[in-house]
Amino acid sequence: MKIGLFIPCYVDAVYPEVGMATYKLLKHLGVDVTYPEKQTCCGQPMANAGFERQAIPLAEKFEEKFEAFDYVVAPSVSCTAFIKLNYSRLLNHECETAKRCMDVVEFLHDVVKVNQRLGTFPHKVSLHNSCHGVRELGLSSPSERHEKKFNKIKDLLQLVDGIDVVEPERPDECCGFGGMFSVEETAVSAQMGLDKIERHMQTGAEFITGPDCSCLMHMAGVAKKQGKKIEFKHVVEILAAGL
Amino acid sequence: MSSKEDILKKYRANVREQFDMPDLSDIRAITYPDPLLQFMNMVKSVGGNAIEVDKGADINQLIKELYPDAKEIASNLPEITIATRNPDDVGRARDLNGTDVGIIRGMFGVAENGCVWIPQQMKEKAVCFISENLIILLDKSQIVNNMHEAYHRLSTRDPKSGLDLFDEYGYGTFISGPSKTADIAQVLVMGAQAARSATILLLPE
Amino acid sequence: MSTQHSKAAKQFLKNQQYAHWHDATFWAVRSKRDKMAYGLDEWEQLREKASAIKRHTITHLDEYLDQFATNAEKNGVEVHWAKDAKEFNEIVYGILKNHNVKKMVKSKSMLTEECEMNPYLESKGIEVVETDLGERIIQLKGQKPSHIVMPAIHLNHDDVGELFEEKGISNEKGNHDPTYLTYRARLSLRNEFLTADAGMTGGNFGIAETGDIVVCTNEGNADMSTSCPKLHIAAIGLEKIIPNYECLAVFQRMLCRAGTGQPTTTYTSHFRKARPTAHHMHIILVDNGRSEWIGDPEHWESLKCIRCGSCMNTCPVYRRSGGYSYSYFIPGPIGINLGMLRNPQAHSGNVSACTLCNSCQTVCPAKVNLGDQIYLWRQQLDSLGTANPEKKMMCKGMGMLYGSPGLYNFATGMAHFANLVPSPLLNCGLNPWAESHDMFKFPKKPFHEMIKEIEK
Repeated sequence: MKIGLFIPCYVDAVYPEVGMATYKLLKHLGVDVTYPEKQTCCGQPMANAGFERQAIPLAEKFEEKFEAFDYVVAPSVSCTAFIKLNYSRLLNHECETAKRCMDVVEFLHDVVKVNQRLGTFPHKVSLHNSCHGVRELGLSSPSERHEKKFNKIKDLLQLVDGIDVVEPERPDECCGFGGMFSVEETAVSAQMGLDKIERHMQTGAEFITGPDCSCLMHMAGVAKKQGKKIEFKHVVEILAAGL
Repeated sequence: MSSKEDILKKYRANVREQFDMPDLSDIRAITYPDPLLQFMNMVKSVGGNAIEVDKGADINQLIKELYPDAKEIASNLPEITIATRNPDDVGRARDLNGTDVGIIRGMFGVAENGCVWIPQQMKEKAVCFISENLIILLDKSQIVNNMHEAYHRLSTRDPKSGLDLFDEYGYGTFISGPSKTADIAQVLVMGAQAARSATILLLPE
Repeated sequence: MSTQHSKAAKQFLKNQQYAHWHDATFWAVRSKRDKMAYGLDEWEQLREKASAIKRHTITHLDEYLDQFATNAEKNGVEVHWAKDAKEFNEIVYGILKNHNVKKMVKSKSMLTEECEMNPYLESKGIEVVETDLGERIIQLKGQKPSHIVMPAIHLNHDDVGELFEEKGISNEKGNHDPTYLTYRARLSLRNEFLTADAGMTGGNFGIAETGDIVVCTNEGNADMSTSCPKLHIAAIGLEKIIPNYECLAVFQRMLCRAGTGQPTTTYTSHFRKARPTAHHMHIILVDNGRSEWIGDPEHWESLKCIRCGSCMNTCPVYRRSGGYSYSYFIPGPIGINLGMLRNPQAHSGNVSACTLCNSCQTVCPAKVNLGDQIYLWRQQLDSLGTANPEKKMMCKGMGMLYGSPGLYNFATGMAHFANLVPSPLLNCGLNPWAESHDMFKFPKKPFHEMIKEIEK
């Protein structure tokens, strides 16, 4: 099974340690993972803003670059969801490569079916259930639905030594990033971010963790500005901690 | 072209893909081991009262005890002897204003939500809403589990559902508890524009 | 990069105490809905059936409308068809004029709000009295509804208390207890019901098989409006017609559970014909764009909406901005979509009042794809001429950057120099991100350079 690693633009530029943790963890689990060069972006930022046609050349490049792999794995639920749900429509043909794109949490949980102890992280962490993960990729049962409760992110985190995983009230309410929303509806976005941070902090956790850096970036920025003392780590960094 | 023809023509020109009616027979609607008990609990939870009446009890006496201060009692039911007004005989609907207790008949109850199906059964249905307090007489054996069963009774013209009354008067309603509102600062208040209290007297078969 | 909504929302959030109350209040309604949904094992099945029934019905609407009108007419009801808001208002006025109506009481109808019926009738000298308590409050205050189910939610009990004192409805100055105020409103409205010449209701559902108009209320005001006055006019949008009682059961069970977290409204009333002592019953079927919207391949599913309000209650943006921030009279997710169908140029600003979290379409009892549609509306703004020019430029820039791996690698390689930009410069008005975020730091090396070292 050959895995192509897709590192989204903002992970590449701002949170490379998340990319490194993903790579390290997959290698540790014996996954044959390759990072094809000359990646840029999936096109979500432009599409979110109303210019999805600009994602078409990026989709073409993506398909070209990754079609030989069995799966494409990315440490980002928003990018993965965008690719999976839109590329076939944008490219006007069934894009098998896009359909084989998975967020690293889904991949580890559903394909690798990780069942061994992972890293060490003796801290209390509050789980941030990013919207794209919950409602588009099915990483956890949405609180709106009447269905059996599950949480793939939590399942994986429980494999980490010493960890204490909690969830905030309103466990899957949006953090308020929303791409362009954060710079267009600045007041509501900030309020949503602050409200979310406060709910996470009410759990007594030292860290907020989630499967998407855009949510974490937004909350970290708001937290710092508001002087809220809490740390942020992407889920995959915790899973790989100490490995 | 009439507006009707205009509208339908425009619609037909615009409608695209069509979809079939789904099968509704496989809906796994909730049922209760004791529908009467569930019904009574639901009536209570929506702010109403449900009282089981013993066989041979005097309903008129019971109502007098429930509302000892009631001056104006409106009903057209033959078994009610304490009525001071009859919604069949009033000149105008508004003459029923000032009714302390209105007594009407319900045909069946719905366990899932405390609703009672009440087809209009009097000349002026205002009695159901204008009365300060509403009493609904209900045969306690006539309880269905849920609204699917309720509407099934209505659409299959179940004989114990008062459909002849519904046909005659052209009005029927499901009533669950007293009227209420939370429109002022989301504070729930019983008694909005219609009955301020609703009591179901569950009669033996 | 601001819109009417973003500016209004900013104002709304300035009153932090009120904003928190608003958010908590609607979250509480969402929680009540959750409790109802979790209490029925068949909840998700009902949603699927409701969606399928609506998809079938609204794509066969001409047949059902015909069946509905035929059956209503068989019952002795007069059925009118209104192509648009203007015709609707004229039909209503015509009926009222024929019956010498001076005062009409009405129960809640967003359709009449859509057609702006009240001001039209008032200009013709007819007094219209709203009888839903929330609607009556905002009518007296001269305001518009801020939510489709709880129209006066933006007012607190002191606001209402002072209003009632001013209008002579209350007779105990300073008593702002909601129970007291509700009772005083009851007395006032009771008088209106008794002295009105006509009663108007909306219609939650119209049943094709029987010609019934079904009206769901908690207050009993639709029933009072039709029990005393001798004329009943029911106004209903085309898309509210459903086939039969078997279908009605599905929707009746969901409407209130989804919208207010109650198992049912107090009254679920079936109006089939005028009562024996009344003159007539009239039903007005209103198009006003619906026959066109069915043809929109991306947005026709908004016609499935049963106006429960649950999408607003769950929307984290609505909760923190309030109904008045939206340019359309219906706010929240369904309002964004209906506003765009009604007048895309006028309401484009609402389309960015959304994080695409999709909570709305996950609660919607009829599975209207609200969030997906908002995404699709965004793609149309450019061709509508309402795309924000700054956004367009930014996206062009991003397109160029991401289109060239060489340029992208160069930019990301240099990005860490941005860390050297002094904070006051970064935090100036030109950087909206910095308005509420501390800037993140760019690492020395992006991932694509770090990985090269590992793979060596």
